[in-house]
Amino acid sequence: MDFNLSPESKMMVKAAKDFCEKEISPIMDSIIENNDYPDDLITKFANARMLGLVVPKEYGGVGTTNLNIILITEELGKTGSVCAYPMLMNNSTAETIDYWGSEDVKKKFLPPLCDGSAYACTAFTEPGTGSDPRALTTTAVPDGDDFIINGTKRYITGGNKKGYGVFYVKDEIMKGEKGDVTAFVVDKSSEGYSASAPWSLMGLEGMNCVDVFFKDVRVPGSSILGERGNGFPILLRWIAGERIQQAAYMVGLGQAALDESVKYVKERIVGGKPMGFMQGFQWMLSEMKGRIDACRYLTYRAACLQDDGKQIAIDSSELKIFVTTTIQEITRMAMQIHGSYGYSKEYKVERLFRYAAHAGVVATSTELNKTIAGSALLKSKR
Amino acid sequence: MNIIVCIKQVPDVTEVSWDPETGSLIRKGIPSIINPDDKTAIESALQLKERYGGEVTVLSMGPSQVEEALREALGMGVDKAIQLTSKEFAGSDTWATSYTLGLAVKKAGQYELIICGKEAIDGMTAQVGPQLAEYLGIPQLTYAMNIEVVDSKVRVKQKLGDLERLLESPMPALITVEREAYPPRVAPMDTILEAYGKEIPVWKSDDLNGDGDNLGLKGSPTKLRKVYTPKLIKGKVEMFEGGPEEVAHKFVDKLKEKYII
Ligand SMILES: Cc1cc2nc3c(=O)[nH]c(=O)nc-3n(C[C@H](O)[C@H](O)[C@H](O)COP(=O)(O)OP(=O)(O)OC[C@H]3O[C@@H](n4cnc5c(N)ncnc54)[C@H](O)[C@@H]3O)c2cc1C
Repeated sequence: MDFNLSPESKMMVKAAKDFCEKEISPIMDSIIENNDYPDDLITKFANARMLGLVVPKEYGGVGTTNLNIILITEELGKTGSVCAYPMLMNNSTAETIDYWGSEDVKKKFLPPLCDGSAYACTAFTEPGTGSDPRALTTTAVPDGDDFIINGTKRYITGGNKKGYGVFYVKDEIMKGEKGDVTAFVVDKSSEGYSASAPWSLMGLEGMNCVDVFFKDVRVPGSSILGERGNGFPILLRWIAGERIQQAAYMVGLGQAALDESVKYVKERIVGGKPMGFMQGFQWMLSEMKGRIDACRYLTYRAACLQDDGKQIAIDSSELKIFVTTTIQEITRMAMQIHGSYGYSKEYKVERLFRYAAHAGVVATSTELNKTIAGSALLKSKR
Repeated sequence: MNIIVCIKQVPDVTEVSWDPETGSLIRKGIPSIINPDDKTAIESALQLKERYGGEVTVLSMGPSQVEEALREALGMGVDKAIQLTSKEFAGSDTWATSYTLGLAVKKAGQYELIICGKEAIDGMTAQVGPQLAEYLGIPQLTYAMNIEVVDSKVRVKQKLGDLERLLESPMPALITVEREAYPPRVAPMDTILEAYGKEIPVWKSDDLNGDGDNLGLKGSPTKLRKVYTPKLIKGKVEMFEGGPEEVAHKFVDKLKEKYII
């Protein structure tokens, strides 16, 4: 067991840090104010070659590891901005297409997702459900070699940005059969495709969570991932990876909360001395540090399992239960350390607290993760 | 157009502190970085390569950990790196450094430009670039803000305080760049991976065909006598009163009176 990062990984972390300083810091305020990021953000990620990180080079990717994605994501998380998400969406959606797509699909969709000419999205949730594939109501009906899609998707991150997405849809013909969910790659500029204004969220300004409307959208049958009716395993595999990536983002938020707190207790004078002299705060900080490290190394471990081609469905659920609740508590502690300033939008910790809240409900809720991990324990033979 | 960029690995002075007792730099645990002006030099070379073609080689003298700085330069996209590491090089002042770099440049092969940073943040002498040009007997264009090649001549916009001069010279030539001139790019992730696949030759003193007496501490005419923090002198504070304009005038008068401006 080696806890040291390779020199390559260390340099990638440094490059990600440089990227945050050069490309993200200057636009942070405007993202929050406009609840959106500039259109060329994805181009900047592409220039830094942060897209298609695990996609093979022949399709325009970088061909590196999931662990490196996690390390980069952690750095982006530290900025306390939403920017990790468009980067992650392009990475995870492209990975899904690479894993399940036919050669033609890969050749068509991967290069634009890697070179930054397209924003990706992955869409499962609908107004009626976010956890239960049986309850999906968006339908695909075959028409010659094509399919006609109708229905509404909800809370789709980047569903309004030009590019391509993977959409999980009920196959009308196969309806009622065990596997009746099909994954389609859809061009977001197709006729009949439209998106709502972004949802106004508690945090993650600029997330661009939108409702997406399909009105007789014609999609070629050749853009199906895997087999028709085989969408659910594709979704489960994507969502397991997503949990690890969200955990990495949370670790970044948590580390930022600790960094801000250490800075604050050194500067803030209470009773004539910097408040860091008070033992109570030292205890809080040390606890925060230990818990963040635990989250970090659990996240790295999950990414390494993924890189080794191991099953990650259960481990990623356990990971996310722990990281979500732990980092939410860390950001609460950071807010507390900042006193009333922690409740003010002038201070970064206020944002970190709001942003950390999302992880409990996005891409499998904490309760669903507990159900997944808990039922696996009962089934285990050991 | 082939370009050689000379870079120095320095302690990150934003994180450095001094030992008040001994007056020396506390280097322990301080991360090393590529000298910021030299990173600008790398960026300028990469942009010139993108425009005019050719190859960019980075050259660095230092202890074995300079490999890290060279890998970072490769990560930014330079083609080749050469490392000068030898115990005979230790303790070099700017004279011995320029001499050693000069020997290495001669060995490195054909080039049109050598680009250096203006100065290193740990020494701040701004001497190595110009001395290297002297040693090689090539023109030097210092404090460059912008570099262009026109009719096989190199042109730079030189920054001299409030003045700017347009300089031109035949090539080969040596340029030193100002830090703001070319904001360095973020090393792309795929280039970082490639950087670790490349061989970096390490040249020792024996590889350079120089005069051993000119190397390292032995070859360094500059001797460091003492490092100290100047004592702070307690002064008198004078407050100006009045409107902003009035205060500004009083302030300027005072500065003139003290021969500061
Ligand atoms: C910021 C943000 C971004 C999002 N981005 C996307 C996106 O890009 N693509 C996308 O498809 N969706 C996205 N979503 C939607 C998100 O994934 C869903 O909200 C989530 O899956 C939960 O679905 P739901 O809200 O419909 O909850 P429901 O399915 O209605 O469940 C309600 C609650 O019941 C509990 N529950 C449900 N089923 C179980 C179970 N089997 N065991 C235990 N408890 C259970 C859970 O606690 C859950 O919170 C996003 C949401 C947010 C807030």
